[in-house]
Amino acid sequence: MKIYAYGIINSNSGMDEPLSGLGEASVYNIPYRDIAVIVSELSDEAKGKTDTYILEHERIVERLMEGFTVLPMRFLTVFNTKKDLISMAELYYEDFKDNLARLHNKVEFGMKVIWPADTIKQRIVDVYHKTKHNVSISTESPAKTFVKEKFQEHIIEKEFQEEADRCIQVVDDYFNRIACEKKFKRLQTESLLLNASYLIDKDRQNEFKQAFEQLKNAPSDLKFLFSGPWPCYNFINLTKKPSSVDYFNTEDMLNRLLVQQGFAQERNSV
Amino acid sequence: MTMNRTIETDSQGAFIEEIEKVQDALPKRIDANPKNVEKGLAKLVLTLVELIRKLLEKQAMRRIEGGSLSEEEIEQMGETLLKLENKMQELKEIFGLKDEELNLNLGPLGDLM
Repeated sequence: MKIYAYGIINSNSGMDEPLSGLGEASVYNIPYRDIAVIVSELSDEAKGKTDTYILEHERIVERLMEGFTVLPMRFLTVFNTKKDLISMAELYYEDFKDNLARLHNKVEFGMKVIWPADTIKQRIVDVYHKTKHNVSISTESPAKTFVKEKFQEHIIEKEFQEEADRCIQVVDDYFNRIACEKKFKRLQTESLLLNASYLIDKDRQNEFKQAFEQLKNAPSDLKFLFSGPWPCYNFINLTKKPSSVDYFNTEDMLNRLLVQQGFAQERNSV
Repeated sequence: MTMNRTIETDSQGAFIEEIEKVQDALPKRIDANPKNVEKGLAKLVLTLVELIRKLLEKQAMRRIEGGSLSEEEIEQMGETLLKLENKMQELKEIFGLKDEELNLNLGPLGDLM
């Protein structure tokens, strides 16, 4: 029987109440020093269905957050034996302690921003053609024509990137003073200007939500997807390099949860 | 879900589309099995060549912007860059690779390009 791991908690005492995890298996803790790994056994039958269990994984992590500080593990983290799991806890113990202290009483909020990339690029192109440039490249040969085109692309791309930075700054100004930490992914696609995660003190959540309300109501041609609170999926920092398995590589969790469950919730609430 | 969660957007379709693009953009590892090992390796090699080509191109554009190149140098450089781009195009077609496939996910560091 393999062991499925949900996360690490800042206590080595037993669970307060019985919980059912993946495939209805009982959730229990495996203590290591003053922390514990929360697990359930994974039957061969359940193993085949694990892809559908992401919401179950999330449910367990959230229940744990009600009573503990939790480092959520990557979805589908499975150990062959208890010994393997203890080795992992031993290896990362110091990192776990640091992260548990840093993430105590914190939650994560997600903020995605879409901007009208095509319109912005066109605006930059229009300005480029109207502007007199210091650099002039002739088109007397195919090579120079090629360079001229590349140079125009270079200038337009540079402007586009600078405009993106300005726009991200405007968005971030609403949240920066409230957040403990933040992580940005900019321009993952041309339209997805920002995919941000903010780490927030639990008691400042309302303040953070109000900041979003202000941002949403300010005139702009941006589109927003605001979500949270979530477990701290994007803020676990390990100093030890993962060996073969990156147990805490959970940065795609929010996207997966949003697509699978979150938007359904959104349809009800809007 | 047990947490009192807010999920709010006025553009659900647009966000689903962008999230799917991000998720689909990159295979997580080089797919090297006996059937397509050649393509897997070509993808890796061409990604690195493409990175170097782009760096060269960027450096060249910066030099033009700085006004440090003569007409003759621009001509020579243009010819080199043009040939390099055409050759890359040819290789991509041979191995059936698209532009967006020539990238590597460097984990916490993000994408190579």
